Amino acid sequence: MPRLLSSALRIRRDPRLLKIPPYLSLLCILVGVVWLFLLPLDEYSRRTYISENALLPGQVHTYFGGSDQNVFRAYKHEVNALEDKSNLEINDKLESIIKGIGLKVGRQNFTYNSAGNVYSGENLYALLKAPRGDATEAIVLVAAWKNTKEELNRNGVALVLTLARYFKRWSLWSKDIIFLVTPDSIAGPQAWVDAYHDAHDSSRVDRLPLKSGALQGAIAIDYTQQERFESVHIIYDGVNGQLPNLDLINSVSNIAGGQMGMGVAIQEMWHHDNKYPDRLRTMLRGMLKQGLGLASGPHSSFIPYHVDAVTLQPFGRGWQDEMAMGRVIEGTFRSLNNLLEHLHQSFFFYLLMHRDRFVSIGTYLPSAMLVAANFTIMAIALWVKSGQPELNKEAAKKNEEFEVNPNNSAVERDLFLPLGFVTGCQFLSVIPLYLFNHAPESTLTPIFAVFTVLNLLLPYGLSHLITTYYAPTAQQYQMIRSFSLLLLGMFLSSLATLNFSLSLIVGVLSTPLTFMQPWPESPALRTFCTVLLNAIAPTMVLVIGASVWRLEISDVLREAAFAWDVYGMYSSIVVWCVWWPAWLAASVTVLGKPVPAATRRGKEKAKTA
Amino acid sequence: MNDGKVTVGRTAGLFLGAAVLRLALFTLFPGLPDLLTGRVEVSTPVTSFKRLQEGLFLYNHNVSPYEGGVYHQAPLFLPLFALLPSFATLPIFTYLLYIAVDLLSANALLKIADSREAGSSALFTSPRRDKRWSGFIVAALFLLNPFTIATCIGRPTSVFTTCAIIHAIAKAIAGAPFTAMVALSFASYLSLYPLLLLPPLLLLAYDRRKQTTKTTPFAFTVTHLGIVVGVHAILFGMSYLLTDCSWEFLPSTYGIQLTLQDLTPNVGLWWYFFVEMFDSFRSFFLAVFWLHLSAYVGGLTIRIRRQPLAVMTLLLGIFAIFKPYPSISDTSLFLALIPLFRHVFPLMRYTFLETAIVIYCCFLGPAFYHLWIYAGSGNANFFYAITLVWGLGLSLLVCDLTFAVLRDEWEVERPEMVGKEIRQI
Repeated sequence: MPRLLSSALRIRRDPRLLKIPPYLSLLCILVGVVWLFLLPLDEYSRRTYISENALLPGQVHTYFGGSDQNVFRAYKHEVNALEDKSNLEINDKLESIIKGIGLKVGRQNFTYNSAGNVYSGENLYALLKAPRGDATEAIVLVAAWKNTKEELNRNGVALVLTLARYFKRWSLWSKDIIFLVTPDSIAGPQAWVDAYHDAHDSSRVDRLPLKSGALQGAIAIDYTQQERFESVHIIYDGVNGQLPNLDLINSVSNIAGGQMGMGVAIQEMWHHDNKYPDRLRTMLRGMLKQGLGLASGPHSSFIPYHVDAVTLQPFGRGWQDEMAMGRVIEGTFRSLNNLLEHLHQSFFFYLLMHRDRFVSIGTYLPSAMLVAANFTIMAIALWVKSGQPELNKEAAKKNEEFEVNPNNSAVERDLFLPLGFVTGCQFLSVIPLYLFNHAPESTLTPIFAVFTVLNLLLPYGLSHLITTYYAPTAQQYQMIRSFSLLLLGMFLSSLATLNFSLSLIVGVLSTPLTFMQPWPESPALRTFCTVLLNAIAPTMVLVIGASVWRLEISDVLREAAFAWDVYGMYSSIVVWCVWWPAWLAASVTVLGKPVPAATRRGKEKAKTA
Repeated sequence: MNDGKVTVGRTAGLFLGAAVLRLALFTLFPGLPDLLTGRVEVSTPVTSFKRLQEGLFLYNHNVSPYEGGVYHQAPLFLPLFALLPSFATLPIFTYLLYIAVDLLSANALLKIADSREAGSSALFTSPRRDKRWSGFIVAALFLLNPFTIATCIGRPTSVFTTCAIIHAIAKAIAGAPFTAMVALSFASYLSLYPLLLLPPLLLLAYDRRKQTTKTTPFAFTVTHLGIVVGVHAILFGMSYLLTDCSWEFLPSTYGIQLTLQDLTPNVGLWWYFFVEMFDSFRSFFLAVFWLHLSAYVGGLTIRIRRQPLAVMTLLLGIFAIFKPYPSISDTSLFLALIPLFRHVFPLMRYTFLETAIVIYCCFLGPAFYHLWIYAGSGNANFFYAITLVWGLGLSLLVCDLTFAVLRDEWEVERPEMVGKEIRQI
């Protein structure tokens, strides 16, 4: 045993050991990325299953149909007549219709300001008291007047009215049902859910006049298609990449796909052959949406409050009519009605790659963690390296300096500059965060253009500043890299537990930062690294991303500011306060010109003498 | 002469800066104090400012503050906070009080650092003592430590305990054993556990006593134990009178710490263990946990007899991990004393690892707590796992500091071994 330990100690001393970490980091990155691409294989993904037995999806007869079709047609006429009316007029009419059905109605005003624009409107909702319940639990049926593409949700609103009338006739509900009609798809539901949980800012959003118990689930209808449809598209991404319980998606897919015989699609994959490429595409689309953290429909605002919610959207040409859609919702509501406790059995962290195929967190998390770990490994390696004497020719000559303490090879580290620099970068990041979230819309694009140009020049300026005033040594550059990578690794691994996809996307885009170092003697390599870094700068990625998806930069920025102001999307914090400072530190390092420690010490001695 | 003036000016600047920073955080971010007060990492059941408000409300309405079982803090806080203008209307006075307490602690810490006790105590002089940080830097590290700032903004009453402990140490070093004992009695009256610091504090006071008066160690111990008992008796008597002549405060304040009846999560290791515990084993494990906590006192005091200040620092680190209701306030006290031992830093081996673990926990802890409590997608195990890692990081730090202090002593005893590799056999 002692021999083993002493040989272990000898290995620890071996200078070759310090050459390993960069390769280890690279290996982590490669394994992490390859891991992701293995997930769609049959061996790594699993079939979905209903975990909560109380749900019993598709086990009841649904009776929606027959004369309800006439009712639906009548309500659709009413909705058509309201097409060009104002929000208030629409709500006045809807209120009289719902009161006619015999339900209590509440209305709520909201006004949001974002990027100089005003988003205001009035929500209208109705409460169906459960004949068999005690008003401690409720389920919500939502239809936004306009969907996320600003199309009139003609059939959706008419269907909600019809279902309200139909549900009222049944005596089997043990949970209250709330019917919510919002003027738009994002701000309205957000205002309503905030106010329902008393978490609203009362200067912008009114309180709700009428409330029920804890929300157990919510279904939103986005039904603009006029022709008969073929399949149902389930939209499930919540704000900040949070997802609803997988049981809810499974129930809907079970009812629609199994009981009603419709197709079920996810992530806008209108055709899916359940083979590897389609599965991968579905998964990557899901990850991208999750990573952006944007609200994808009226259901998104519910998920942060731990209310599981999805939006259902009919698509394709087929023979299913509005009644079939109504029956899907009826079936889902009957299932939710059965719940004895909040949905908790199934997964909250998953990646869906087909409607009945998924991977759970235990299988996919290692890939993001490996990518985040590569930064930490490199940070530790750099720290150890910075504690070792400089190994160049000059140092070899001046070896006597280290001979004072031959066994204890650690040299003292000068922490002030690296700590100050990394902290400074972190604080600088507040500027873009504030600018892009508070500037009015008209100035967003010019500010972005100016910022992009400044961002190109900033590393040169900072590098010039620190080389002129502080003359950092190679050790100090190592420590700058070490601290900045440590912070990056730390933020990303924490983030991986909250929003896996965002962490992985930022992690993969920042992988080159691991390998950046000063190139004082090789201008070619320095230029190459600078170009590479500028290609993966947050601003550049935004520009490239926008052009790939054919979006206007101004729309992207406006949407991001809206997301920040209205539903608290934190992706912009991650971009500006996690990714950007790490990028800046790496860019400055690449441009660095380290001064040999010995000359610097000599200079200081001269100064003090 | 001139140098002294510069230092005074610099220190005043630091104190002013720290006060302005805190005041700015209080006033510019009005939501921040309440947010931090609600965080389990900052407020524990026995220090929470919210619970203090509850107790204060009952006290002001002539109801026993311990009715309702929410308030678990010492009764003497009540008249103090009742004297201040009401928190609801004029919160600025409460803010100023907490800022003043922080500054007082920093001032005492500055004196401890400038006394050079850490490098050269009465019985031991470290060969490395010249490598030290001035009181200014030590005070700055305390005042600008994010944990200290978060604690100040979150306003738990543990800052008073911190202040009393640091003052006890400072007074013991300054050769005022009586004041030191009074300060320690206040600390232990406020939160019980500082009583365990009594043995090393007595040693410290004895080592640094004025040499003019001659006392035997025995007489010194008895006198000062008497002072501690006397001050406790006075404080308990005042509390008894304050709470309408009832001893109800004893079980509600100290009883709750001894028997851990409130199982609100915190950064410590007790709550989860006792949530899981079958009731029949509860008293046994309570005894074991308390025994474990107090067992370090004797061992460390005897082993590092020559450096009582190091013993107290290590003990405070151990308390920050293993006491029943720890918070980051206890960690900030431990971290405040570590810079005094700048001279042994080169002997510490895992500083980067420890720092990285502690900082990792600072991010992962709130994230997992969020997953458990708000998102509902995690559970209690998530948060407990992180508190375990946090405990691990701090205990590594404690071990590392112990190692460094012992190695420093050992190298004086065995000069031929200086710089040799340590090998475990």
